[in-house]
Amino acid sequence: MSWISRWRNTFRARRLDQDLVDEIGDHLARRTEDLEREGATHQEAARRARLTFGSINQVREQSRAVRLWPMIEGTAQDVRYAWRGMRRSPMFAMTAVISLGLAIGANTAIFSIVDAVLLRPMPVAEPDQLFTLWTKEGESDTFSYPAFDEMRTAAKSSARLALFDSPYRVEAQAFDPNAPRDEAIQQFVSPDAFDVLGVPPAIGRLFSVNEGTLPVAVLSYDYWRARFQSDPLVVGRTLFVSGRPYSIVGVARQQFSGVEAGKFVDIWIPVTQADPGMLIQPEYRPFHLIGRLTPGLTREQIAAQLQPSFHRHETLEARSGATGVSLFRRAFSRPLWVMLAVAACTLLIACANVASLLLARSTARAGEMAMRASLGASRGRLLRQMLTESFLLSSLAGAGGYLLAGVLAPMLVTLTSTQADPIRVDLSLDGPVLAFCVALCSISTLLFGVAPAWQATVDRPMSRLGGAARLGRWFVGVQVAFAFCLVTGGAGFVFSLRNLTSVDTGFDPRGVTVLTAANDLGPRQRDLQLTLMRQLRARTALLPGVQSAATAWNPLLSGGRRAERVAVAGQPASATEETFYRVSPGYLATLRTSLLEGRDFVSSDDDTEPIPTIVNRKFLDRYHLALGREFHGAQGIRHRVIGVAANSLYGSLRKGFEAIAYIPMKPPRAFTLYVRSTLDPGTVGRLVEREAKTLGSGLHVRDMATLESLVGNTILKEKLLAGIGASFAFLGLTLAAVGLFGMLNYSVARRTKEIGIRSTLGAARSSVVLLVIEESLGMILLGLGVGLAASLVLLRFSQALLYEVEPADPMVFGTAVAVFMAAALVAGSMPALRAASIDPAIALRHE
Amino acid sequence: MPSPNSAQTTIDMLTLTILQTRGPSHGYGIANAIQELSDEALRIDEGSLYPALHRMEEAGWISAEWTITENKRRARIYRITAAGTKQLTSEKERWIKFSGGVARVLRLA
Repeated sequence: MSWISRWRNTFRARRLDQDLVDEIGDHLARRTEDLEREGATHQEAARRARLTFGSINQVREQSRAVRLWPMIEGTAQDVRYAWRGMRRSPMFAMTAVISLGLAIGANTAIFSIVDAVLLRPMPVAEPDQLFTLWTKEGESDTFSYPAFDEMRTAAKSSARLALFDSPYRVEAQAFDPNAPRDEAIQQFVSPDAFDVLGVPPAIGRLFSVNEGTLPVAVLSYDYWRARFQSDPLVVGRTLFVSGRPYSIVGVARQQFSGVEAGKFVDIWIPVTQADPGMLIQPEYRPFHLIGRLTPGLTREQIAAQLQPSFHRHETLEARSGATGVSLFRRAFSRPLWVMLAVAACTLLIACANVASLLLARSTARAGEMAMRASLGASRGRLLRQMLTESFLLSSLAGAGGYLLAGVLAPMLVTLTSTQADPIRVDLSLDGPVLAFCVALCSISTLLFGVAPAWQATVDRPMSRLGGAARLGRWFVGVQVAFAFCLVTGGAGFVFSLRNLTSVDTGFDPRGVTVLTAANDLGPRQRDLQLTLMRQLRARTALLPGVQSAATAWNPLLSGGRRAERVAVAGQPASATEETFYRVSPGYLATLRTSLLEGRDFVSSDDDTEPIPTIVNRKFLDRYHLALGREFHGAQGIRHRVIGVAANSLYGSLRKGFEAIAYIPMKPPRAFTLYVRSTLDPGTVGRLVEREAKTLGSGLHVRDMATLESLVGNTILKEKLLAGIGASFAFLGLTLAAVGLFGMLNYSVARRTKEIGIRSTLGAARSSVVLLVIEESLGMILLGLGVGLAASLVLLRFSQALLYEVEPADPMVFGTAVAVFMAAALVAGSMPALRAASIDPAIALRHE
Repeated sequence: MPSPNSAQTTIDMLTLTILQTRGPSHGYGIANAIQELSDEALRIDEGSLYPALHRMEEAGWISAEWTITENKRRARIYRITAAGTKQLTSEKERWIKFSGGVARVLRLA
């Protein structure tokens, strides 16, 4: 009997077994006592007691079988019965499974991202001992290298502090400087970083604390597997990163992909091998600091200990570092919670919807229930039966939703990822996510299953109809409330996106292709670099179909910027840092940003002081400058205003116009090429690539994008929220409309006779319609009221995510009410028409 | 349903009768009573009484509760339920009908 062993582990079976042992023990003890009283010795009595009892094991097995079979059989019967019931009404089952499945899938998908990005600790030793450092006032978690150095010394034996640069994209070449380039993500870390985290090597070694000056690199496990097919012989070979050779010393353990959720690092390099300029400037603060506390100390204590060494007017804070650091997390944690809330609303609507479907079905099945009750089925048995049906529904929906989540979650992540800022999230659907999905199914079963089951098994059938109708109205009220919430939320996000996309950029992004060009020349060959850059620009401008071309440093809207404080003669330097952007002649024309006054750059303009500078309107007004006037940048370098440009965007759509000073181009190793043309971006890329090849010196093109897509990338979050918000609003609204339709329709059917009598007695059509609607009206209005209040809360919580949308925005609420009314009208018109067109003669014959 | 004169039905009827006439009892008491009533004619292992008790409990004919004996052992006390009484009555009627039928056949033969 193998099922015995299966059930042995269940709680009930174990308790039953103990009971049985006790019961048999009691029997044997009594028999033994009686036999002893008759004069037998204790041993003899015990032996004879066991003999007359027979095989104890056999009794135990038989008794277990007797007790557990009805349980298993009952459940199996319930499931069989539920399955038959579902096949009898496939439309009902399909509707319920699809609406629940969509909602559970959406919730699970979003939760799997929440889990990966916000909740899951890093795969390191004792993650709870880790902390990250923050400055309280600036809400910033990045520091300069000198600050790191001093805090590391100040930590003494209380903690070990490691440094992590922001990961960024590089070009890597395997083993040979002439090998093809492929993209990789590189991160500078302090040499003891792996030690502090407690990450062991998979092969080779990681950095040693006293890493010498020899350039070395460690690969991530994923990169090693994908790029080098897990070849253990890569250790000791040379990897060229941005043209510089590094010796590969090892591979980090599997699953460790860096300390930033959303970013997968491929190559780690000790920060000691970085450009020394990065390590001495106290103003350059790109570094995240993660420390490991000595056991017994608290994070507050370490923050207090480090504070004196941190020479700033800012308060240090140590927060938990178990989940690492993440810019992605900072950007997306609130949107994720909002999306989860929105998805939860949808699930509640779906539950209320299925509940009302079940209710309607159980009213139709009242006869069957009554018969089963009279055949001796107890109310508990019937309840169990109906709940099994509900559980079967939600299990099917859960299985579908789980599969759906596996598809949806990676899609959502892809939507947040751009070429310049690739996002990868290690989404695993097991463990917490599976538990979450199962929990959702169980909670849904309780939410939609219990009330209809209770209602269906009420003892007095006559009170059942009224109760069911009342309960049905409640369900509709719930759906109305949450659907309204979703519609306002969706409207808020859509309006916010619309506001953003109609922001004036100050340039014309249509038809502009943005490319990055790089060469292999060293820093001492500046002249050659400048020549190459000018030639590429000139040749590109001459290509057929190209109107103009210009070069600049980093592309616009990509996060990179050079910022300096500005001082006008006789005044202290500005508190804020302004953007200085290096551009070539023709940049303004290529982007169609108008030059309001003065002249454009010419090729002879360079960094000779006073540096010829074009400022935009905002810059001009902020520092009260005029054409020909001078101002000072960083280190007092003199600039002279030679032109004034119209305002335009620099950082993102959200930030709007910023003050910008354009300065003459100086050749870096990689530069940006803007091309305005009538060609498609792919053709532009191919043509420019060909020109670059003929110029030689390793000049090549990468990262092709349109300026329009760069603009769009700055509002990815808003696009994502608007897309998801609108889809959920649509889904919720549809479900609620179907629910409303079902209830009104049912209500008409139930009152056909009454309506017939009223019409016969001369009631107007309109009053008949009102009669049907008015009994539900209260609940709908209540739902709307609750929905209104809830959406105010939702919009207030998402305020930071909205652009020029107030929490009580009249446009948003007006639209939501209009959309809602339209849906209600559609859902309500059919039942109302049906009520109005009831023929009294037929109605009276009804029943 | 087992045939009316199977061993199982016999044990059920004996047990129900004992619980009805003598009041609540533990398994050991029931086993002793069966032996005593059947004049030791019914030779069964004492142990096989327990699965029967548990089956009747699942069927709802008898109920059981745990008590603590004077020797601090846990003892399970069974009592007959309303459903059990009903079952016993109908079982008795069937038995009487059946034995009456057999008697008639024997008389006519």
